Amino acid sequence: MSIVKCSHCHLEFDEKVMIKEPQSPELNFCCNGCQGVYHLLKDDGLDSFYDKMGKNTISPPTAIGQDSSNFDMESFAQRYIKTTPDGFSKIDLIMEGIHCAACIWLNEKVLDETPGILEVSINFTNNKAKIIWDDETIQLSQIIDKIRSIGYNAYPYDRTQSDKKATANKKDYFMRMSIAIFASMNIMMIGVAKYTGFFMGMDEEMLRIVHMAEFIFATPVLFYSGWVFFRGAYYGLKNKMINMDFLVSAGATLTYIYSLYVLFGGAGHSYFDSVAMIITFVLVGKYLEVIGKKSAVDTMDKIKSQIPLEATIIVDGGKKVVPLDKIQVDDIIEVKNGEKASVDGVVISGDSSFDESSISGESLPVSKKIGDKIYSGTINTSAVIRYKAVKDYANSTLNNIVELLEDSLNSKPKIEDTTNELSKYFSVIILSIAFGTFMGWYFYDGDFENALIIAISVIVIACPCALALATPIASLIGVSWLAREGILFKEAKFIETFSKMDTIVLDKTGTVTTGNLSVISGKTSELSSENLNLLFSLADSSTHPVSIAVKKHLEQNHKYLKHIELESIEQLPSSGIKAKYNDVAIFGGRVNDDTKHKSTIYQFCINNTLLTTFELEDTIRDDAKQTISYLQNEGIEVIMCSGDNKHIVSKVAQEVGIKQYKSKMSPIDKANFINELRKDKKTVVMAGDGINDSLALSRADVSIAMGNGADIAIAVSDIVILNDKLNGIKKSIYISKRTFKFIKQNLAISLVYNAVTIPIAMAGYVIPLVAALSMSLSSLLVVGNSTRIKNNKLGK
Amino acid sequence: MNGILWLELVVGIIVSFSLLGIFIWGARQGQFDDGKKMMNGLLNDSPEDLQDAVKKDEKVKMMKEKKAKEMEKEKSK
Repeated sequence: MSIVKCSHCHLEFDEKVMIKEPQSPELNFCCNGCQGVYHLLKDDGLDSFYDKMGKNTISPPTAIGQDSSNFDMESFAQRYIKTTPDGFSKIDLIMEGIHCAACIWLNEKVLDETPGILEVSINFTNNKAKIIWDDETIQLSQIIDKIRSIGYNAYPYDRTQSDKKATANKKDYFMRMSIAIFASMNIMMIGVAKYTGFFMGMDEEMLRIVHMAEFIFATPVLFYSGWVFFRGAYYGLKNKMINMDFLVSAGATLTYIYSLYVLFGGAGHSYFDSVAMIITFVLVGKYLEVIGKKSAVDTMDKIKSQIPLEATIIVDGGKKVVPLDKIQVDDIIEVKNGEKASVDGVVISGDSSFDESSISGESLPVSKKIGDKIYSGTINTSAVIRYKAVKDYANSTLNNIVELLEDSLNSKPKIEDTTNELSKYFSVIILSIAFGTFMGWYFYDGDFENALIIAISVIVIACPCALALATPIASLIGVSWLAREGILFKEAKFIETFSKMDTIVLDKTGTVTTGNLSVISGKTSELSSENLNLLFSLADSSTHPVSIAVKKHLEQNHKYLKHIELESIEQLPSSGIKAKYNDVAIFGGRVNDDTKHKSTIYQFCINNTLLTTFELEDTIRDDAKQTISYLQNEGIEVIMCSGDNKHIVSKVAQEVGIKQYKSKMSPIDKANFINELRKDKKTVVMAGDGINDSLALSRADVSIAMGNGADIAIAVSDIVILNDKLNGIKKSIYISKRTFKFIKQNLAISLVYNAVTIPIAMAGYVIPLVAALSMSLSSLLVVGNSTRIKNNKLGK
Repeated sequence: MNGILWLELVVGIIVSFSLLGIFIWGARQGQFDDGKKMMNGLLNDSPEDLQDAVKKDEKVKMMKEKKAKEMEKEKSK
């Protein structure tokens, strides 16, 4: 079996399943979609796309040929299309299928060259696009068709106030942070001259020049970049609270005033460099928080863009398309193949199967017949059905999940950050000590200026540089180590919570198991080679997960399979697939009267005679048992949750050694369960992969998504295991615990340093040179200690 | 000696703040809004891409002029 790359998407497949084009060089395509897009780009002279794509891979096109007429509907235009002051039309879209810079280039290039399109701008970071066009030259549906023709797709989204606010906030912080970094870098360069001067000698005038340069750079940092801290301090004081912002602004301002005194009159050493550093360090941390908030808003927009826009209802025997909020209880709704159910209801006519993965996490479509419940957001995968609405849109499952997710993302559990807590108390104590020192010296010798300088020197020597570095340096080393192991921590602060966790909730499908079906039993030895080829061709004609698993099983066990052209291939809702070959009736799927098998089965019949039966099961991950036993040995409570039935869940739990499990859980049940655990003062980590886990993931103290999981699950998670291996959890715990141990050591070092130096400063014995050296020494100790984190077997 | 240093300080500060000014102008224009795209542009933009950008500007100008004329016509009606 040789593996070849698809010439368009660059994904690798078995050579046997590829569509070949014998030319030089030979072209291989995994599907007709890829073949079509490849030739379209070649014909339009856009094949430099493949050079720009490099080693990246993209998804095969799936949306080609989809109906886009709803983009031209009046109700759609009212909701999503805006008019610019110049009289053009404008829409905000979320692009699907963007993987690399080449994808952005291709979409922008194709749309820019389309007559009637004025402006296209696609954001690579969040895949949001803005398109401005002249609707007298081109219709929106034609633009969408153009996007789909090159293998991508686009959904409209409502640009909310929160999105506009988050974008403006991010831009504001970016500007403040950039100026702070620019000025600090200049001050650091000037600092080299200044500190060299201490050892080599520097005359008064030259020192004044150096101080002046530092003053010019530090001033915009304090008053422009640091403005956010003054604002935060003001609101804090208004609410009678001394917050971190107050301490940062007070510390920086006092240091600045003292340095001004040195520059314009007094002798000694200025600390403009400390002013700039304190503001810059804390501001970078704040900027990361702002980015986090912006990405939460982007995630919600992605989720909302998946909600269907309209539904087809049956009124007086005719069909009418209505917006979702116009659907009322008892309305009859029609759902075609590939469409999403808009509200919850009960089937009244038809027989079909629905993909409920967004609700239950299970990849297998569920069969639906008269009387069965339909959940909003689930996708019809076969025949047309009609159902009666039992809830309006506002009360339906999909809207409930979206609203709850929005709440959760806006109020992510607050993590106790030891360093922040510590520095809050630390700063209050330092300010009190400095004030006490000032009062003491003032009453002792009556010299106001001397008392002020000693008090300020207490604050300067206690400058929490080492304290500020204690966590970030160790975290940086820990996070980069984790990244090398294929584990992405979105924020370093999760290291602390992760190392303290006492309960882990694992989703079953896709987390403990692979989520892919595989054949566990089934005989093919008694089949003739022709029947074997018929079975292979039949399984190959369907994209149903069961057919794919059977096809894979046949390929693994038989060398010389041949593809036979079948006729009259027909998908049978909820039972299987039938076809004809030379008047022979072939069937693959589940025979209706077979009830003795509890697991998923695939039966192969020719002319209604059963020839063989395959039994299929979801495969448990290789490293599941070992990882779970490690977690239990670490004293962590392991609980497994699933939307599946009790029988299947208990079987998997038993095999991997999990004692506690919950079955038949809806996304809301899972989220409530996490809430209950947290109410019991437990530190809960949730690991999942599906859209159905997103709500629970957003409620946990820390959430982990498997790398192959749904986009939404990855977006709401704090940690992503990129290599999709469950032992990533084991590695994360080990590295987090080790990193946290070093964070605590660093904090101890910085506190001991302060305990020694502050009394000396209070006594008035600190000369500027000693202060500068001791500050640097404490920072070096912390950095040096942190580099020891990786000194062990796993690290090396 | 110190006079030269003062002069160097003034020149250095003018140059660096001018560069900062250009950066602020770029940021306000939205050139750094999309970090990933900006980095890719720096690494991969070719003369061909610059030509495309010029053509795009011309197309935008033409379309805006045409639309303005159409709107004027409609108003005069």
